[in-house]
Amino acid sequence: MKILICVKQVPESDAAIKMDDCARWIRPEKSISYKMNRFDEFAVEESVLIKEAFPGTRVDAISVGPARAAMVVKRAIGMGADNGVHVETGDHGYLNPLIVASLIAGYARDRQYNLILTGIMSEDAMHGMVGPMLAELLSLPCATSVIFEKISPETETIRVEREIKGGYRDTLELKCPAVLTIQGGINKPRYPSLSNMLRAKHQKLVTIVASPDDRPGPREEVMRVSYPQKSRSGMVLEGGREEKAARLLKILREKTLI
Amino acid sequence: MTKRIVVIAEHFNGRLVPVTFELLACALEIQRFRQVPISVVILGDRVEDLAHEIAGASGLEVIAIQDPDLITYNGEIYKNILGEVLPELSPVCICIAHTGQGWDFAPGLAVRLGAACITGVERLFEEDGRICFTRAIFGGKLVADFRVASDPTIITVQPGSFKKASFEARTLGSVILRTVSYQSRQSRSLGIKRAKEESSAVTEADVVVSAGKGIGRKENLEIIERLAALFPKSAVAGSRSVCDSKWLDRNRQVGLTGASVNPRLYIAAGISGASQHIAGMRSSGFIVAINTDPNAAIFNVSDVCVVEDLTAFIPVFIEACEKSNA
Ligand SMILES: Cc1cc2nc3c(=O)[nH]c(=O)nc-3n(C[C@H](O)[C@H](O)[C@H](O)COP(=O)(O)OP(=O)(O)OC[C@H]3O[C@@H](n4cnc5c(N)ncnc54)[C@H](O)[C@@H]3O)c2cc1C
Repeated sequence: MKILICVKQVPESDAAIKMDDCARWIRPEKSISYKMNRFDEFAVEESVLIKEAFPGTRVDAISVGPARAAMVVKRAIGMGADNGVHVETGDHGYLNPLIVASLIAGYARDRQYNLILTGIMSEDAMHGMVGPMLAELLSLPCATSVIFEKISPETETIRVEREIKGGYRDTLELKCPAVLTIQGGINKPRYPSLSNMLRAKHQKLVTIVASPDDRPGPREEVMRVSYPQKSRSGMVLEGGREEKAARLLKILREKTLI
Repeated sequence: MTKRIVVIAEHFNGRLVPVTFELLACALEIQRFRQVPISVVILGDRVEDLAHEIAGASGLEVIAIQDPDLITYNGEIYKNILGEVLPELSPVCICIAHTGQGWDFAPGLAVRLGAACITGVERLFEEDGRICFTRAIFGGKLVADFRVASDPTIITVQPGSFKKASFEARTLGSVILRTVSYQSRQSRSLGIKRAKEESSAVTEADVVVSAGKGIGRKENLEIIERLAALFPKSAVAGSRSVCDSKWLDRNRQVGLTGASVNPRLYIAAGISGASQHIAGMRSSGFIVAINTDPNAAIFNVSDVCVVEDLTAFIPVFIEACEKSNA
């Protein structure tokens, strides 16, 4: 079996992100540290679990993004993927999901993957579109928000359960090849092992430089980003730690909450 | 051909879901900027009654497309039917719910129709003669305004963002019934399953102390438990990430895919405030958030914001509390 797993690099969730000068996206700052999108970690883990259950399975990890994104491909190898592919785009800030899906589709098209996995969405752009768009571009069946999967190699089908809302699961069977987007909690992502990280360090990634001609023109564009409106007073406590604690205690007492 | 705004109605278990009427409200707002008629499309195995319900409530034209294979939602059949029907309607904008159904088929449908696609829309407005859509990014820390270059545009609308539409019933509306049969070739729906009935451990409490990924490691839950112990009738809860990491049981998860709580006091410790989390706690009486990031989205829905490392701040708070009780 051949599996392609799509991973994205995103800023840490506590990163002090700031808008860029024309407020079109966030400013790529040296101080921001990056990580693998959390939902992709679950997808990588799932592909490695499949590889362990079906010996002979090969897992390729792919990421579309600037030079620094190679790091998450290496991390996927550290978690157990066999090969890494980096489609390098340059640091443009925002990358349109259709462009990303098209670039991945371009790579995957003639490579006979039985299964393609992505996270349910990225923590930064939060579109949740690359997986289902990729499926459509490759004319493959797709299930999103997958919380359980079971492959039947004999029939070349995969049974999945999708989390549709609290307490309900939509169950379906897809013909392979298929695209799944993985919801958090499906498994427990492992830490990269030392031996795999060493292998990742020395292993050369397949690097493809994306040229503008590979990309469809974006159908939608970001005009600006801004801070959201507050829905409550949001009083910020000032002073040292002890003062803040005393202030909070006073407020909770006044409201008879404590 | 007349252009239109199209709403794809959502239903579940034989009933319309509330977001359907929010989609109508969204369509009415779009109509203020693009004066074209609104049509509603509903798909299912037997949806004639639901179609009449929408037509009666809204006075709009409702196109009911029945397919015997659509006993439950199936993304492949939805894309096949809508991929054929929608071009006939020349839509300028197609409004779909941002739910486990809508979010599943909208992006693929957009590729098929050559449409723009914007998911998780919370607001819309007009600027320079174009409709613009606002959605959350970076877990709600920022919002982004999007605009599109040409028709059609598919949007998925975040439930709870538009107030249920009210129509002065001027007309009775109409229902156009069509029957089709598109067997799915690549997928087969096997039905909806109810996950294990887990009574929620957190909905009854007066005070909910909720832990996020910011607690750093499982052992730090002890700090959260000690904080909760200061309050009578309190419960410890958490974000989805914390439950996904198996640090807390799933029945303690607050949010869209967990419990909805409205305690008198909600303390969010190390929670970023993603919209899916806020969906489950925004109606709490009083909200206190503790987070190291001064721009964390959770602070936008909080009454009191404490910009601190929770592992350092909570012990200091507990001590202050115990001292003043002594
Ligand atoms: C379909 C779908 C459904 C979902 N349903 C839910 C749901 O029901 N409930 C839910 O919660 N999520 C849900 N999510 C996930 C949601 O999008 C977020 O990923 C999740 O809520 C983030 O959890 P978090 O805030 O704990 O973690 P993070 O986003 O990683 O945030 C951690 C926070 O802790 C802060 N922090 C770090 N260290 C410290 C410290 N020492 N002291 C204080 N603060 C610190 C950081 O600044 C950051 O703000 C859903 C997602 C999807 C796609």
